[in-house]
Amino acid sequence: MSRYKTRKGKEVVFLVAMAILTFVGILPLFHIIVTVFTEGLPVIAERGFTFLTGTLSNGGIGPAIAGTFILMFLSSLIGLPVALLVGIYAYEYPNSLIGRWTKTLLQIMLEFPTILVGVFVMNIVAIPMGTYSGFAGAFALAVILMPYVAVYTQEAMRQIPFTYREASFGLGLSRIKIISRILVPLSKRGILTGVLIGMAKVAGETAPLLFTVGGLYQSYPTSITKPIGAIPLLIYTLIQSPSNADHAMAWGASLVLLLIFLLIFIPVRASLKEVRL
Amino acid sequence: MEKKQNSLIKTAIVGIVIVISPLLSGCITSNESVTLRTTGATFPQYQIQKWIDIYQQSHPDIKIEYEGGGSGHGQEAFLQGLTQVGRTDPPVKEDTWNKLLNTGDQPLQFPEIVGAVVVAFNLPGINELKLSREILVDIFMGYIEYWDNESIEQLNPEANLPHEKIKVIHRSDSSGTTAIFTTYLSLISEKWANRVGAGKTVDWPVDKMGRGLAGKGNPGVVTILKQTEGSICYTELSFVIEENLKIASIENKNGKFIKPVTETIQSAVSQVSSFIPDPTEGYKEDVKQLLDAPGDNTYPIVAFSHLLVWQNKDGKHYSPEEAKAIKGFLTWILTEGQKKENIAPGYVALPSEVAQIGLNAVNTIQS
Amino acid sequence: MPLFPFFLRYFRRKKNEDTLHFKNIKRIDTLKVITSPAIIFVLLLFVWMLTVYFYNALPAFIREGLEVYFRNTWQAAEEASKEYYGLAAPIWGTIYTSIIAILIALPISIADSVFVVDYAPKKVKNFFIIISDMMAGLPTIIYGIWGAFVLVPFLQKYVMMPLYKHLSFIPIFSSPPITGYSYFSAGILLGIMVTPFASAIIREAYQMVPFTYREATLSLGLTRYEATKILLGYIKPAIFSGAILAFGRAVGETVAVSLVIGNTFNLSIGLFAPGYTISSLIANQFGNAFIYKHMLPALYAGGLALFIIGLIVNVVGLYLLKRWQKNVEI
Repeated sequence: MSRYKTRKGKEVVFLVAMAILTFVGILPLFHIIVTVFTEGLPVIAERGFTFLTGTLSNGGIGPAIAGTFILMFLSSLIGLPVALLVGIYAYEYPNSLIGRWTKTLLQIMLEFPTILVGVFVMNIVAIPMGTYSGFAGAFALAVILMPYVAVYTQEAMRQIPFTYREASFGLGLSRIKIISRILVPLSKRGILTGVLIGMAKVAGETAPLLFTVGGLYQSYPTSITKPIGAIPLLIYTLIQSPSNADHAMAWGASLVLLLIFLLIFIPVRASLKEVRL
Repeated sequence: MEKKQNSLIKTAIVGIVIVISPLLSGCITSNESVTLRTTGATFPQYQIQKWIDIYQQSHPDIKIEYEGGGSGHGQEAFLQGLTQVGRTDPPVKEDTWNKLLNTGDQPLQFPEIVGAVVVAFNLPGINELKLSREILVDIFMGYIEYWDNESIEQLNPEANLPHEKIKVIHRSDSSGTTAIFTTYLSLISEKWANRVGAGKTVDWPVDKMGRGLAGKGNPGVVTILKQTEGSICYTELSFVIEENLKIASIENKNGKFIKPVTETIQSAVSQVSSFIPDPTEGYKEDVKQLLDAPGDNTYPIVAFSHLLVWQNKDGKHYSPEEAKAIKGFLTWILTEGQKKENIAPGYVALPSEVAQIGLNAVNTIQS
Repeated sequence: MPLFPFFLRYFRRKKNEDTLHFKNIKRIDTLKVITSPAIIFVLLLFVWMLTVYFYNALPAFIREGLEVYFRNTWQAAEEASKEYYGLAAPIWGTIYTSIIAILIALPISIADSVFVVDYAPKKVKNFFIIISDMMAGLPTIIYGIWGAFVLVPFLQKYVMMPLYKHLSFIPIFSSPPITGYSYFSAGILLGIMVTPFASAIIREAYQMVPFTYREATLSLGLTRYEATKILLGYIKPAIFSGAILAFGRAVGETVAVSLVIGNTFNLSIGLFAPGYTISSLIANQFGNAFIYKHMLPALYAGGLALFIIGLIVNVVGLYLLKRWQKNVEI
């Protein structure tokens, strides 16, 4: 009987410990969100629209917001076509040598230290060009975006029942037709999800921008071959300043960044059961 | 269900496009303005930012981006053409100068402002602290471990020093402030010169004792100081004023304990006739010239901070508009900018003959 | 465009040869032709990156040999002859903080997986998965600002100080929590950041445990603790690879860590001492490395080490995971 009791006792301890650990695991997220709102909202409320459109000396982060969107857009422009093709290849030739390599490589790139991408791009783009630029930043971000979209593309297409493929082959369609007319449209939703996840990732990245974009906060960007700003990079600079005014600004900017992230994340999450980032 | 989700994603994409497009169009239609970029030393940060603010108000068509990163980064970014105006506290060394010349353009270097490196501390309840030369060196060497060390107490009998370890904060990046400070320490102490030496980054002995901490840029250092009781750091005077930190009085050449204020810094500048080489041979300048200057009322750690700019031979580095804007801004800095109302707290204007050397150099920039 | 048709012709001829000698007749694969450039681009990019790091790091190896990884000096001097760079402290910091991160992430993610799979009602389950995904995707700079302004002061006051006060005779607690910027803070922050990645892998694996196993444990009349223990034993390899992959993430994280690690060349076992990591070293020093003669190669050597650690960790982690998945499927 007492043996049963100790067993039961162990079970209770186990359940309690598990509940506590689970709770501790999700606690930080709530604390982060609450803190970002409580610290950031007053700053934005106080400065109002200027915070979102003004330049740094006017107390706003407008150019940084513009820069982040431009970088998102440009990096998608560079990264998406490559990513889609790579994803399709990985789906279509999963067992060939290159196909296997590609799949492993994509997984590795997903996990890859992003600072290394930044340094690499500085080396091959920013220094030869002789200037920091939006293009260099977008290129670095594209390298980071690419594996996400490729993996999602491949996964989304793999989810389509094999019978569709068989049926299409039965109709005598060529591979390219099957992919472009049947499989891609069918897996549209999964691919779009991948695209949005890639963009969410790209919007929040800091390390790849450290040595590539330079920063531009006093005026709006005019050219992709010139330096450009980004919200995460601006936050990184502001945090390292001693002045409380800069810290307030950093919290405000963090709130904006968080909202951009949620704006992308929520629809994605609503459309899919599980998202792997 | 699927349709609903599909439309959600579509809405999201449409939403993003809607947000982006006015921004993009806004960029295209924005009126023609020239953007200049200045990068490097954080020593003159508050001064530069003040100049930029004032200048942008009277010249709305010119935007100036301030970027920190330290003197080392300033020299590097300037060399790579990643910034238009580099900032460095210590003059460029000959090696780097040759690299600059190898680009085929002529670099120009001249002082922009005078500032002081101060020793700030965070000891609650203590406002005044005197540090003799020896103590100063020993603290940064790590020889003195606790605040209530005998030698410090003897010098500061009225201060109630805690039995707490001294945490020494230094820079993590390649820094002109560090160069000035370590050059000064090498100047007053052979021990320091032999063991540690001078440079934009040095191997801090305190790091290996676990009592060293590092911050990026003067802002980073001051941030850590504010958060850390029992710490000490070196930084530029303006940061101390801006953040209301406590400053130590440092023993000067004549054995007097002096706090850095405008008069004591000015005294250093007036005590020595500064030698500024031709801006085309900037590397010949000596950092030491304003350090440890004589005079009873002279603060010992004073230095010029410098600007780097290209002569722009054959338009190698700047477009004509940029060259014009750079010339305008730098001329303004060296004339209007040196007036009392445009000097930020903690800095001292250049002697007029030094400013003139800079002006002559600026006039040779080709547009 | 003379190049492209030639390229096609070449392709075709090769295919024809193939068909003549070996296989059944096949048309040229247009899909392959279209997708191949992208594949080649990505593979080349990767090789290029490795080359850039290796090539730029080479001078450091020539000058200092492998000592560049094993010495703890960071001497940037104006005179080139006095320069000496050793990466021991950042390498130690990288590994130390990542291990702390795993020690934190592992129990949490295991508990989270068990809870989500075994106990949570469907709605709660979904909620937890959403939370986990959000944590995985949250911009790292937001972790950074929260870490620097909220987490570090909290840890210093309520965790490090008491531990130091009462347990400083234990070596790892022996260094005073001077500022709170330390291996410990960085490790905790990293642990929070990598938990969702470990969770995702472990949760998936735990879900894949065949139903018959669950039935079997129940039929034995085991308590939930005992049953879970057995089931977790079954997915041990997946837990292991989850830990490895999370370690890989922790090793590469840059901005959040650089804001809380303290950035000093310190090599200490003391949890509360400040230190450095490779990635924050690069973030701090790369911007001024060019003006020194020998610093840049040393930084690239650091990057190369990071590159290779990342590569090995990921390949091993993925390999183990795949092998385990295959076993389960059979």
